[in-house]
Amino acid sequence: MNRILPFVLTAVLGAHPVWADGPGPEVVTPLIAQSVSEHILPRTQAFAQSATALAETAQDDCTTAQAGLEAGFHQAMDDWTAISHLRFGPTEHDDRAFALAFWPDGRGKTPKVLTGLLQSDADLSEAAIREVSIAGRGLYAMEFLLFDQPVMDVGTGARRCAVIAAVATDIAANAQAIAADWQEDFGDELTNPGAGRVYHTPPESVQELFKAATTGLQFTIDTRLGRPLGTFDRPRPKRSELRRSERSLRQVEMSVEGTQELAMILAQVNPALRTRIGAAYDQVHVLIDALNDPVFASVSDIQGRLRVEILQIQIAEVRDLMLAELGPALGVGTGFNALDGD
Amino acid sequence: MNNARIATTVLAGLLGTAAIADTKADVLVNYANIAEAKYADSLSTAQALQAAVATLIAEPTDANLAAAKEAWLASRAPYQQTEVYRFGNAIVDDWEGKVNAWPLDEGLIDYVDASYGGPTDDNEFAVLNIIANPTFSIAGTEIDASTITPELLAETLHEADGVEANVATGYHAIEFLLWGQDLNGHGAGAGARPATDYASGDDCTGGHCDRRGQYLQAATDLLVSDLEWMVAQWAEGGAARAEVLADEGRGIVTILTGMGSLSYGEQAGERMRLGLMLNDPEEEHDCFSDNTHNSHFYDGQGIQNVYLGSYTRVDGTKISGASLSSLVAAADADLDKELTGKLAVTMAALGDLKAAADGGFAYDQMLEAGNEKGEALIMGGVNGLVDQTKSIERAVTVLGLDNIAFEGSDSLDDPDAVFE
Repeated sequence: MNRILPFVLTAVLGAHPVWADGPGPEVVTPLIAQSVSEHILPRTQAFAQSATALAETAQDDCTTAQAGLEAGFHQAMDDWTAISHLRFGPTEHDDRAFALAFWPDGRGKTPKVLTGLLQSDADLSEAAIREVSIAGRGLYAMEFLLFDQPVMDVGTGARRCAVIAAVATDIAANAQAIAADWQEDFGDELTNPGAGRVYHTPPESVQELFKAATTGLQFTIDTRLGRPLGTFDRPRPKRSELRRSERSLRQVEMSVEGTQELAMILAQVNPALRTRIGAAYDQVHVLIDALNDPVFASVSDIQGRLRVEILQIQIAEVRDLMLAELGPALGVGTGFNALDGD
Repeated sequence: MNNARIATTVLAGLLGTAAIADTKADVLVNYANIAEAKYADSLSTAQALQAAVATLIAEPTDANLAAAKEAWLASRAPYQQTEVYRFGNAIVDDWEGKVNAWPLDEGLIDYVDASYGGPTDDNEFAVLNIIANPTFSIAGTEIDASTITPELLAETLHEADGVEANVATGYHAIEFLLWGQDLNGHGAGAGARPATDYASGDDCTGGHCDRRGQYLQAATDLLVSDLEWMVAQWAEGGAARAEVLADEGRGIVTILTGMGSLSYGEQAGERMRLGLMLNDPEEEHDCFSDNTHNSHFYDGQGIQNVYLGSYTRVDGTKISGASLSSLVAAADADLDKELTGKLAVTMAALGDLKAAADGGFAYDQMLEAGNEKGEALIMGGVNGLVDQTKSIERAVTVLGLDNIAFEGSDSLDDPDAVFE
């Protein structure tokens, strides 16, 4: 999304009874500021750092650095997934999040685009990579480059290293741009809403944050867990996220951790509710720790499937609790999200 | 009804707005009337397609193929304008996959080029080729497809093996059977299926022409009967109409849900921006016929005419009445201006896209990596759609519908319940 809107919004919202159902600005504004300073800024900076470290490792001789690249990939993926719910503002500018995280890939485009890149001698400069299909860019493409044997066998070793370095540099550039935008501009945009700005009122800013947390949970429920679960008759373990690097369960864990941090800040609006949301999240962590099935391979057998389903149900309970009680406590509705549609 | 109108008017007066507002009940009746008219127009144009297809199969000439394609294109304009009714109206959403499912692995249906590939991780039946195979097995069940009937398509083959890309029915299956694969990549030009794919005897190209004709007729008959059913849902006494009119607050939320969900997640995201970022001509919504620009344009127009409460039918008749726009204006005149203006900006952008494509700059070409002009045209539409969504959210707030959304609208508080 281009943050420079096609025309300036001039509506004056001061006259509206927008506070009728929710807490006043003196309650909500500090929660917005704290979400930015204690969740968004440190997390986006952590991702920028690990993505930069991965790019630096990739610049070294990657033929001998496989272990270092793998470790760097895992760290960057952890840090990205913990902010992957923040799909507004800086992540949408220049389509950065799309270019960082193209998944799910139902029609197998990522290996196709990478195979093309590895077999060709196309320009791999930073500018050239930005023009490549998003299926061949970002962290999910990096997983294929580092962990998928058929893709790893394509092309020469030198070309493979050059592609890894180019993809890593592109990832780092997007990660740094997201962190910089939050630091320099969008943190203020969110914290200080007003006429003519992206957010007109504090409730609109709070709604954006609330929506991010609940949509992040929805993605984990429907896609990270729902895709491999498939149906009872037709489980789909091959559709598990990042199964080649054995990160499927780890992805759930990191996305839960990220949304939890944000939810616990927002839930300060109602301490009793905050305790209940915290307890529901704790139960999710208990289930994750006990699951011991990193790629959801067990969805094909009844016992294993049940355990994955129980985890899915518990995350849905967290989300339902937030929708039913935290939204009204903050005085905001759910709004529209990118998962609307089919 | 009169009391409600007076009450609203008084309230509007208290808020300092001079305009006399329409009542929610009036707005909902007009919304249902427009739905009925749009589906009736979709039906009449599909019936024209049905006749054109019968003529093509009886007499497979180039002229008859061209006429069938024209009929298909004409049928898309009213149908795309109904898409704003999908999200929020569960009756429509549960049904629409039969008629407009996309994207599809078309190798399920008929022959495809070698470059298409084979079965994928996600879909074992991506190259099943029903037309060439009278019997086959799906997930262990033997299927008798020796006669291709509407029932076989709808009940057995559509979404076979639980894979959504196995689209056996609807507009896009018919589109594929009329145009064939578009093998031009990022070049201009649509699919180029020869009329002889429907010829008999030695003139038949592509093999199994009789079965191909059977499939095309069955799919078109099915489209017509599915649309007949949906028209009935919106007629007086129909279930979709009754559902919308049952509760005023929820009914208004339904309208806004349809507008916002189509604008943002579906059209701006899934259909336009994702395709652009994949630089993939297969990511065109109407990829066989190269009609994607019209598909996007009429989707946008559907969103706009639902808000303004006014729809021009295919025969030129205008249906106009109480509008959501006037309800919003009564609560907040500035917001109505903002939203009306943004809808117009989006339509201008989609109009530019349509004009460029009509002028020969194909949507495939716009999607090509590095094509800045194409990217700007597509992103103009995307930005407009994203921007108007923000104002649609504001309308939910100023109409005081937030809490109703939590209790009442599946797609605002529990999208997966509706969209699965």
